[in-house]
Amino acid sequence: MAAASGSDLSSEMEVDAFRRLFPLHFHERHLLKSIRPDGRTLGKARDTIISLGAVTSANGSALTKIGCTTMLAAIKLEVMTPTVESPDEGCIAIDFHMPPICSPIVRPGRPADAAPVVAKQLSDTILRQLRYLWKNSGMIDLKELSLVSGKAAWMAYLDIYCLDADGSLFDAALLSAVAAFSHLQIPVVSLNDEGRIVLVSEDNGGGKLEKEPVNKEKRKLNLATIPFSLTCVLHKNYILADPTAEEESIMETLVTVVLDSSSQLVSLYKPGGPVLAHTSAIQDCVALTRQRLKELQKILNEAISDMEVD
Amino acid sequence: MEYVNPEGLRLDGRRPLEMRQLRAEIGVVARADGSAVFEMGNTKVIAAIYGPREVQNKSQQINDQAVVRCEYSMANFSTGDRMRKPKHDRRSTEISLVIRQTMEACILTHLMPRSQIDIFVQVLQADGGTRSACINAATLALADAGIPMRDLVTSCAAGYLNTTPLLDLNYVEDSAGGPDVTVGILPKLDKVTLLQMDAKLPLDTFETVMQLAIEGCKAVANYIREILLENTKQLEFRRGV
Repeated sequence: MAAASGSDLSSEMEVDAFRRLFPLHFHERHLLKSIRPDGRTLGKARDTIISLGAVTSANGSALTKIGCTTMLAAIKLEVMTPTVESPDEGCIAIDFHMPPICSPIVRPGRPADAAPVVAKQLSDTILRQLRYLWKNSGMIDLKELSLVSGKAAWMAYLDIYCLDADGSLFDAALLSAVAAFSHLQIPVVSLNDEGRIVLVSEDNGGGKLEKEPVNKEKRKLNLATIPFSLTCVLHKNYILADPTAEEESIMETLVTVVLDSSSQLVSLYKPGGPVLAHTSAIQDCVALTRQRLKELQKILNEAISDMEVD
Repeated sequence: MEYVNPEGLRLDGRRPLEMRQLRAEIGVVARADGSAVFEMGNTKVIAAIYGPREVQNKSQQINDQAVVRCEYSMANFSTGDRMRKPKHDRRSTEISLVIRQTMEACILTHLMPRSQIDIFVQVLQADGGTRSACINAATLALADAGIPMRDLVTSCAAGYLNTTPLLDLNYVEDSAGGPDVTVGILPKLDKVTLLQMDAKLPLDTFETVMQLAIEGCKAVANYIREILLENTKQLEFRRGV
């Protein structure tokens, strides 16, 4: 910033003051030069990190960072009785939490406005894909979570905690959810004499041979297609990919595009806002998401192969 | 159940007077004024400080000192079985209160009148000793936020099982039903600010167990000082002094 205005340390304070007093001007001055205050070009997303297996007390977990936005997702599995309508399907429950540590705006006792919105979007994206699945089109086949038809199935609780909220919350949350599902390791279980499901512990597997495990082969979920998303901010004629919290608060028109791994559109979300977008702008957003999709796929695959090496 | 085997090892392979592996990191939440992660073995806690800032609820404002608030919460996936408790159950309210009062004792609140300091702690993984881990994380985060304090507060627990005093109990040992003494001290001033125990224990044994916990606190204090020193060196380096 200091370099842009060609000033020394003493006038750096002035830049800071300008940024606080006239945030819109400050950002527009940057946009004129096709650059953003953190040094990114308009269409570039922040550095993204995925690390799998961050929570040892869960069956599957992932920590993702997009710039400073940090999400911790973990899945815990429980055995449940499936519903009468779908006797051979499991169930997935998704929760998104924004504890007060994540942002100075969130107050204790009062949930953040953004949290239920993101939670709804997430369960729509992940579960809607499931509901309307015709062969091989959903992310997860709920039938894979079945153990004994009509008797027992897995209930997967996915909890996502936002540890640091710095914009593009939905993107980070979806990425961490997807990563946690791809890390999920289903424990081996068997039926005991009373017909109840018990866990087979890993260490004394030799002594328990008389009880045949119910799910010997089903230790990992098959993720047929994986959704990835990108949030863009529209401001005048500019499209800014992956906004920070500051950019989101100044320029209020957000567009979130979700594509699956074969670049098919999964969902599009533009919750109003002062900018009325042309179709071409939306198409530009989709094109940006397509680029981002390739990056994210690469990062996710690297994280998975890193874990397999360990 | 045997918590200390004849060779003198505990369930997780530690000696009775051995602490779990400590790990800490400062500055993990970018937008907070101060933040830290603290790990004691498998217990992992993240703390963030916001403030000193304007008092949000004006009726709580105190004219000659700062208001300290604390919220403790556990992630749903942090325990063995998934928790299904409402957010503000009795246990977390109690721990919030304990942490708040412990930290309030060492913050120089009179230097920041009419302001508010928020301490938020979130348990990511729970394996016994969350109370101690939260206090240690909060201390680090307060130091990172640059809030004036009399001294660091450090905390550690000790127990007494199979007629052996044990340092830094994990979840299995904690839930064995024996005494669990949580101590918080100001290490430089050598004063105790927090002492909790809810079980019967003969007075002379109590003294050895408490002494053990205090030794644990001092070890934690040394570790925390190392981390802070390392962090300060890095800050100095970045500033190019």
